[in-house]
Amino acid sequence: MVKSKLIEIIIHEERCTGCRICQLICSSIYKNKYSPTEAFIQIVDAYELIPKISFLDGCTHCGQCVNYCLYGALELKEGEE
Amino acid sequence: MNCKLFADRFKPLTDPFSSKNLIIFGTGPLVGTIVPGSSRTVAISKFPATGAVANSCGSMSFAFNLKQAGFDHIIITGKSEKPVYLHISDDHVELSKAKVIWGKDIVETTNFLKKKHGSSGVIAIGQAGEKLVKSSMTLIDKTSTLGRGGLGAIMGSKNLKAILTQGTKGIPIAELKKFNKLYKNLIERIRKYPHRDSWIELGMLRSLPVGMLLTAKGQKKKARQCSDRMYLKKMKKRRIACPSCPMADKDILEIREGEYSGLINYTSSIINPLMMFIVDGLDTYDQAIKAFDLISRYGLDSLTMTALFEFISKMNEIDLLTNEELGFEWKRDYKTFNHLIEITAKREGFGDILADGWKKLAEQNKTFSNEMLTVKGLDVIFEPRFLRLGTMEFEQVVNPKGAHVASGGSPTYVGAGGTLDKMKSHFNRMGIPETAFSRIFDPPKKGMGVNVGRLTRYSEDWYTVLTSLGLCARAQMNRFFSLDLVTDLYNLITGFNLHQEELRLSAERSWNLLKLMNLKEGFSRKDDKFPNGWFKPLKMGENVLKFQDFYGEVIITQDIANELLDDYYDERGWDKQNSYPTISKIKALALEKYF
Repeated sequence: MVKSKLIEIIIHEERCTGCRICQLICSSIYKNKYSPTEAFIQIVDAYELIPKISFLDGCTHCGQCVNYCLYGALELKEGEE
Repeated sequence: MNCKLFADRFKPLTDPFSSKNLIIFGTGPLVGTIVPGSSRTVAISKFPATGAVANSCGSMSFAFNLKQAGFDHIIITGKSEKPVYLHISDDHVELSKAKVIWGKDIVETTNFLKKKHGSSGVIAIGQAGEKLVKSSMTLIDKTSTLGRGGLGAIMGSKNLKAILTQGTKGIPIAELKKFNKLYKNLIERIRKYPHRDSWIELGMLRSLPVGMLLTAKGQKKKARQCSDRMYLKKMKKRRIACPSCPMADKDILEIREGEYSGLINYTSSIINPLMMFIVDGLDTYDQAIKAFDLISRYGLDSLTMTALFEFISKMNEIDLLTNEELGFEWKRDYKTFNHLIEITAKREGFGDILADGWKKLAEQNKTFSNEMLTVKGLDVIFEPRFLRLGTMEFEQVVNPKGAHVASGGSPTYVGAGGTLDKMKSHFNRMGIPETAFSRIFDPPKKGMGVNVGRLTRYSEDWYTVLTSLGLCARAQMNRFFSLDLVTDLYNLITGFNLHQEELRLSAERSWNLLKLMNLKEGFSRKDDKFPNGWFKPLKMGENVLKFQDFYGEVIITQDIANELLDDYYDERGWDKQNSYPTISKIKALALEKYF
C-alpha cells in the first residue's frame, strides 16, 4: 500500500518578524509576480505584538513558505494518510 | 530619480516652509520584490534645520506598499488649508480630513489609520511636526525614522499629517527564472552567515555595545544595565523586520518592571534609546526608554534632544546659560530631560528657541557656536574622538545635509575595517576602480594608512547605489552586496541591460546634482567645517580621548583635516577652493543643464 504524505504546517506566530518573505515566495510561484495580497499565506497585523498568520483555500501545502521562512515561524510536520 | 525630479521642479532659495517647497518620496526599482532588504523610502526636500536640499531615508513597509500600488514616487507640493492625510490604495488617491488625528502623537495617529484602513504603510508626524519644530522627523510604521533635519515640520507646514499606502497590484519580474536562481544563491549565503543568529538575537546592539561606552566613562553600574543579557531579559519584546529582510533588526521593546512597567516602544534600533542613556542625568535604562518613547511620539529627534540636553547642561554649569534665561531651574536629571522634550515639542518658553534649531540657539550667545558639536546646523552623530576618523565620521563634515548618519557606509564603519588587505576586498565589492587604490592608500601622514577623504567619495557613491535601488545599507546587509550583484539584480528585475559602470556613474551624477543644488542655496567649502570641539581632548571618565585617524596612529590637526578635505574634493573632481564641481566633471556627468 502506498501511503501519501500529509503535510501539516505549524505556525509559531511569536517568531514571525513580519518580513513577508513567505508571501513573496508563494505569490512568485503561483502568480508569477511578487504580490503578497495574492499569496495563499496571509499575515494580519504584521507589526503588532502578535501577528496573525493563516492559509487561504487553494493552498497546496507545497511547503515553500516553510523552506524560505528564515525565522522559524513556520514549521513542516509530515504525517501519513 | 528623486534628485532629478526635485532639481527639475524646485526653485532655488525657496523657504523650507513655503508652500512652494516640495517633498518627493521615492522608492527604488528593487522595492516591492523579494530582494533582501529592498524596502527603503527616500524623501528629498529643502530642510529647515540647515536650509539644505537633502535626502532622508527610512524603511519598514511604506515604500513596499507604494510600489505594490503601482507607484515609484510621490511629489508633494502646495499646502492644504486644513489638516489632511494622503491615502493611496492602488489607483485610489485621496486627501482625507485629518481633524481627528491633528494634535495626536505618531503612535496614536498610525494606530488610528491602520485600524481604519487595514494593513498599510504609514508615514506620520507628531505634535513637533505640527508646531514646525525644525528638528522634527516622521516615523514609518511607528518604527523607522525618516527626515532628520525637519521633514516632520515640512509636512506640518503643508498641513499634511500622514501618508498611508496600500497596494495589491504585485510586481512582475522580467527574467523570473534567472532572478529566482540568483535570489536562491544570495539567500543561502545569508542563511549560512555564521553571525546571523546573533544579529537577529541582539539586533543593532551587536553593532555597538553601548556598555563599552559607559565603561569607558567609568560608569560600570550603568554599563551593566545595557548588557546583552539585560536587553534580552528586560527590554526586548519582539523582533520585527522590514519587508523582504532576512536580517531583522527592528525592535518592539517592553518595560517589564518598575514605574514604567507595561510601556511598549517601537524603534528602528535599540541603540537609539540606549545612546540617550550615555548622558549623565538618566540613571536607569527604563528612564531612557521612557524618554525615547516620548521623543518618538512627538516626532522629535532623539539624537538632537540628547545633544541639546548635554549642551545646555554644560552651558548651565559654567553660567553661560542661566536658569533665568532658561526660565526654569536646570538640573542634570530625568525630570529636566522630560521638561526639555515637552517645551521643545510644544514651543513653550525657551523651547521656542530650541525648536528653531542649533542655528537659532547659537544666536543667544556668541560663545555657543564654538562649543556646539554641529555641522551646517545639525548635531554630529559619530564622535571621532571615541570612534576615530573613519568615513562615517568624516562624511558628516562634507555631506550637503550637514552632520548625517547614513551616507558613509564603508569598510571603516564601526567594528569593520581591519587590515588594508581586508579593506581592498571591500573596495572591490563596492566597485571602487583599482586606479584609485593607490590614492586611497596615500594619506596626508604615512601612519594613517588610509585616506578617509578620498575613500569617502567612493563610500558615498556606493551608499547612493544601494539607496537608489531601494536597498538597505546597514552593515549586516551591505556586506552581502557588491556592485556586480546589485547590477545583475537590477537587470533581471527590470529587463534592462545596464553595465555596472553606468549604475556607479548614475550614483555619482545624483551626488553631484545634490551638490549643485546646495551651491545654489549658498553652501560652499566654508560650510564643510570640522567642529572646533573635535580638536580638543574629550574627557570620558578617567580617559582623555584625542582626535585620531582611523588606525589611532596620528593626531588629526586642523592642517591634516584641511588636507583631507582637499583630497575629498580632488577625488570628487571638485574645485578645492570653493568645492564647486568642475566644468569637466559636470560635462562628464551630463549635468550642464543644472549648472
